[in-house]
Amino acid sequence: MLQIIQPAQLAFPEPVEASVIAPYLFVSAAMFVIGLVGFLTRKNMIIMFLCTELMFQAAGLALIAFGRHHLGADGQTFVIFVLCVAAAEAAMALALVVLLFRHRESLGASAWKELNG
Amino acid sequence: MMTSSLLNSMVSTVAAMAPDTAGHAAHAEPAAVGHGPAWVLLIPFLPFAGFLLNALYAAFGVKSKLPAWTTVGLLACSFIATLSMFMGYDGTPYTVQAFEWFNIHYGDKSLVANFSFYVDTLTIYWMLFVTGLATLIALYASEYMSHDVGQGYNRFFAAFALFVVSMSCLVMGDNLIMLYLGWEGVGLCSYLLIGYFYKKPSAVAAAKKAFIVNRIGDLGLALGVYLTFVHFGTVQYSELFASETLQGYIAAASHGDFSMIPGEAQWIALLLMIGAFGKSAQFPLYVWLPDAMEGPTPVSALIHAATMVTAGVYLIARMYPLFLVSETALPIVAWIGTITAFLAATIGMAQFDIKRIMAYSTVSQLGYMFAGLGFLTPTGGAYHVLTHAFFKALLFLCCGAVMHGFAGQLDLRKLSGLWKVKGWGIVSLGMLVGCINLAGVPFTAGYFSKDTILAEAFVTPGYAFLGWVLILTAGLTAYYTFRVFFRVFVGPVEYHPGDELHDHDHDHGHGEDHHHDAGQHGDHHADHFHPHAPGWAINTVLVVLTGCSLLATGLYFVGGDKDAHTKHYADTMVMDSSASYHSGYSKHAFEAYEADPEHAHEPGHGPRGSIDKALAMPLTGGDPHKMMYFISGVVGVIGIALAWLLHYQGRTKASECKMDAIARRFGPIPRWAENKWYVDELYHAIFVKPLRIISHVFHWVDKLLVDGIVNVFGFLPRVFAWIIRPSQSGVLQGYAVSMAGGLAILLFVVLIIVSRAGGAS
Amino acid sequence: MSLEVWSLLALIFLPAVVGVLIGLVKNEDNAYRIALATTLALCVPAVGLLGAFDFNHAGMTQFEHSIPWVPGLGLEFSIGMDSVSLLLILLSVLLGPIVVLASKTAITKDRRMYYAWLTVLQGAMVGVFAAQDLLLFYICFEFTLLPMFILIRKYGSTNRIAASTKFFLYTFTGSMMTLAGLMYVVWFVAQDAQLGRWTLDIATLTHYAGNMSLTEQGWVLAAMLAGFAVKVPLFPVHTWLPLAHTEAPTAGSVILAGVLLKLGTYGFYRFAVPLAPEAFFEYAPAIAILSIIGIIYAGLICWVQDDIKKLVAYSSVSHLGFCILGLSALNVTGFSGSILYMLSHGFSTGGLFLMIGFMYERYHTRDMNEVGGLASKMPVWATFMVFFAMASVGLPGLNGFPSELLCLISAFQSDAAWNAAGEPGAWGASLGPWFAVFAGTGMVIAAMYLLYMVGKICFGAYKEPADHHPHDELPTDLNTREILTLTPLAIGCVLFGLQPTLLLDAVSEPVNNTVRLVEQANGIEPGEPAIRHIMNEHADDHGNDLGGDSHD
Repeated sequence: MLQIIQPAQLAFPEPVEASVIAPYLFVSAAMFVIGLVGFLTRKNMIIMFLCTELMFQAAGLALIAFGRHHLGADGQTFVIFVLCVAAAEAAMALALVVLLFRHRESLGASAWKELNG
Repeated sequence: MMTSSLLNSMVSTVAAMAPDTAGHAAHAEPAAVGHGPAWVLLIPFLPFAGFLLNALYAAFGVKSKLPAWTTVGLLACSFIATLSMFMGYDGTPYTVQAFEWFNIHYGDKSLVANFSFYVDTLTIYWMLFVTGLATLIALYASEYMSHDVGQGYNRFFAAFALFVVSMSCLVMGDNLIMLYLGWEGVGLCSYLLIGYFYKKPSAVAAAKKAFIVNRIGDLGLALGVYLTFVHFGTVQYSELFASETLQGYIAAASHGDFSMIPGEAQWIALLLMIGAFGKSAQFPLYVWLPDAMEGPTPVSALIHAATMVTAGVYLIARMYPLFLVSETALPIVAWIGTITAFLAATIGMAQFDIKRIMAYSTVSQLGYMFAGLGFLTPTGGAYHVLTHAFFKALLFLCCGAVMHGFAGQLDLRKLSGLWKVKGWGIVSLGMLVGCINLAGVPFTAGYFSKDTILAEAFVTPGYAFLGWVLILTAGLTAYYTFRVFFRVFVGPVEYHPGDELHDHDHDHGHGEDHHHDAGQHGDHHADHFHPHAPGWAINTVLVVLTGCSLLATGLYFVGGDKDAHTKHYADTMVMDSSASYHSGYSKHAFEAYEADPEHAHEPGHGPRGSIDKALAMPLTGGDPHKMMYFISGVVGVIGIALAWLLHYQGRTKASECKMDAIARRFGPIPRWAENKWYVDELYHAIFVKPLRIISHVFHWVDKLLVDGIVNVFGFLPRVFAWIIRPSQSGVLQGYAVSMAGGLAILLFVVLIIVSRAGGAS
Repeated sequence: MSLEVWSLLALIFLPAVVGVLIGLVKNEDNAYRIALATTLALCVPAVGLLGAFDFNHAGMTQFEHSIPWVPGLGLEFSIGMDSVSLLLILLSVLLGPIVVLASKTAITKDRRMYYAWLTVLQGAMVGVFAAQDLLLFYICFEFTLLPMFILIRKYGSTNRIAASTKFFLYTFTGSMMTLAGLMYVVWFVAQDAQLGRWTLDIATLTHYAGNMSLTEQGWVLAAMLAGFAVKVPLFPVHTWLPLAHTEAPTAGSVILAGVLLKLGTYGFYRFAVPLAPEAFFEYAPAIAILSIIGIIYAGLICWVQDDIKKLVAYSSVSHLGFCILGLSALNVTGFSGSILYMLSHGFSTGGLFLMIGFMYERYHTRDMNEVGGLASKMPVWATFMVFFAMASVGLPGLNGFPSELLCLISAFQSDAAWNAAGEPGAWGASLGPWFAVFAGTGMVIAAMYLLYMVGKICFGAYKEPADHHPHDELPTDLNTREILTLTPLAIGCVLFGLQPTLLLDAVSEPVNNTVRLVEQANGIEPGEPAIRHIMNEHADDHGNDLGGDSHD
């Protein structure tokens, strides 16, 4: 039987100072930059895809950290969303990569330039 | 009768469609104008029924003379209705309303122009000869057009009936907008009938020219109507002529005091005048009328000689009060009339096509009528309209009979001595009667009516020169008229058939076919060509018209009204109408002279100042009216004698006469005159051609510049896109870099803004 | 909701529903039949509305009904009509069966789509005229573009792609600016009227819009002109029209000339004048000059055309110049004439386009150098051609005349100096006689180009294209179906020509209201008649000298 949980009944933690979440944010920023640089510099589509995943997780980490800072459920909710999207996207993207590979026998992103103006 | 009852019911239905008319119109009308009997509506509506019936015949493909008899019958009924309108007229103008037409209200002001008719003596005067002549000419046409029985015949009579409807609206309309309706309506019918032989390019061109030149005049008329409305607040005759403002102007004008009259009021006449010049073929808008002879001859007789072209004279006579209050309008009318009369006469002298000669003579005679109006004698103008209607219709119908009988031959060099050909006596007699009238042989109707105008040139101050020019023109008229008569109707018998254009028109669909045929006809059948003499219908009409032309003389002696100080029928009819606001020159001078010839110095007042010694004819002295009997008679006889000498005396062949040698001495002048002084070419060069060029320029400007600018606006995005196109490299990393770069810039901007805001607070 | 409102709703939505249905039918012949039946059936509610309309209160919005739509934005689905709207709705509905009937043999491929869009267009046009809500008006106004775009794009002749693109982009760009202008008015009124909410109700907007400053009104007017002037079209933004007209199928041309162009003039009458009365008064001469340039310029261009359809298309530009001239005179005659022009132009030019369509079906050319002298082969066709040409020339007794006369006279009389001097016929004060003089040359030019056209195509020796062969289904001359399509138009021409007073009476009240609005906004009082003392004295003193003996 479900019981409606009153906020007062919960031993809910207090909001924390910004300095407490700072390390998390640094890690997040580092992950993001690594992902970004990887995405920009590598040509292999799978690596590039992995890099985007890295950026996703960086953003997710930042969200959780901020969520803790503001003491809201929003951050965590978003992270759940991001994870879902990332999962779906991973399935789609990998399928696409396989398809693209079949056409060109190459995983290089530069093999596809049809969209030039 | 069935049709008329049908029509009556139709009229009443139409009237019932516009319920609350009386409420609007009645209160504004002055008491002087009453309401007339509804049967007056029959005059325009009977011909309209004729038009509808003929249109039905055309729709059902009737192939008999039914349309002719329908038209003749209905027009005759219309004429009878006009006669009874004349008989029953008791001296008070009245209006009859068919239905409401324009009715716009703005506060306490309104623009009202109903489909209603205004009847006064001027209306009756005009309608009598319009419906009378229309009936006669329809009868004539029943035979003349018989080779076209079928679609052409139906079409012809439909347009013919519609013409009478329009002319009735023009003459009988009770407001200027109705007049305009008739004005353009007769223009349409003229267009349709000139272009009757629509396969002939020249006929189509002539029809177009007539309509367009008339439209130029119509523009002037329209603007005149607008200005009338603006200045007097009404376009209805009954209100306009009763307007106190107008009365005040006339009073001022009668003292020559034009400074009292605002410019707007003076401009009205100038604008209306342009319309009159167009419709009545006056210089410089006369060029359409000679070309209009491309139409069937009955059309030339009715529309382009007797009735429609006199619409301009009617307009000026009807609007005479407005012309009197303009300082410049009537002098211009006088000058233009004289110039036209002279110019057309000179051209007429050099033509060889007898129908064209008659056309130029019509232009010239219309010039006389205008001059008469300008010389402050609307009576003279209107009287000449009437006599001219009879004798010119007669002349045209005679020419038409010749054309009909001689397979379209109209060249006076190829016809001679027709009087002696069997069956052509009536035509020749008719021609003679027409010619003596036109030439102004003493004691003919044409002689009296022309004299009325000529004399007035010397009575009204400032016009003596024009008077002499018109006298000279009278001599020229006599010459060219009898040139035709002496060449074609007397002398040795000789004739050559024409190319029979219209006879073959309905047999062959293609233009080339009939040209081919016509050529053959001319070559092979010329020797044993037998002209077919006119039948009973044509002869009857000619006899009646000959009689009318002769009897019209009598109108100079009857119908005068002592109480109204009018001398004859036309005078009475005109002076009892809106044209009666005349200056009083003629009347004052004439009456004073009659009363006491020795001491006649009662000065007359008028728009042209006052006259002291108006009674003396220059050079000869004496009352101009009396002297003119002699002068114009002598001039006419001299003209005829010249024609006799040069074109009859000693002539043995149709194509040669003594005049040929004399003409050669004048060098190129006769050829210039024959080519109408190249006025058409001149107009073409200075109006049509430049306009055409401008139109082409506009066309290209539209295509290249105006549309070009639009296309530039469509093209600019394309150029811009072309410039930034390389940025879309298609390389994934490229996009990623720009995304990252963009994000970085955005972050940087946000950072700056935040730090600034932080700094400020 | 009353029966009238239901009728009006049916006029707007039934065509849309039936349009979808037509798109779904299997048999293409049925598409034609359904479209014809629907357009004919729609005449019933239309005539019913005419019968139910109370002409004694013609200026009031009748059959009004509104359904809240987006209340937060003040958006309502609000319909109704005054007599001007009613007449234009009748015109749109009447043209429906005519164009469907005229398309029977002309359209051979993919008829489903054709009739579907043609039917949908009907509803949209009625929607424009019936809208009492600004956004509803705008939505319908823009929606008419789509069916017409498809009709031209898919069923036009050779250059149809360019024509439809230009048509769509040109008018759409203009209308976007109009939307901006209209939205500014909405914003202003929401502030000014202190209603505490947004309103898009046209009557309310009209009531308060006059409070805008002259500058504001000027910008609003400019924005509205951008859309409406293109639609009319006014010189120099007219170039899409000849192209669209020339390439459109006959039915498209008829609808375009008959109704769609009138959306522009209707916009002028319904929005540009009432929403910016002072600015319109201020800039009326400029607008009138543009329309006069259009009259002359387009008329002269007509005169040198070889393509008969292009000629008639340019003649529309010229003719609608008169319509706008009448509007910019800002007086009773002008508005009446202009509304009359909207209606009558649909009849005469619509008729001309039908004539050309019928000819094109038989000869497959629009070049007047290739065909000519058709009067001998097709007398009935030629008779109708001359008739409609004459109606278009403005021959009195036919429909062109009353409208042209009123538009010209309105410009002529609308002179400020005359008005101040108290001339009894000087109504309005925005233009002057010279405007009528120059516009009047358009009368002559119209005669020139229309007679040039008639002379070339109807008269002269018979000419046909070299590869001409008789049509499979159509006789040489018009068949009954074709005559049937022309007859209502011809009757309309004569009726409007002889009984313009029916229409003038009908629009008298709304027109007088509009004029009052303009006059109040600009503080114009019609001048008192100047009493001409001097003249009257003269008349008393000397009146007997002259004409006194004529009759007493």
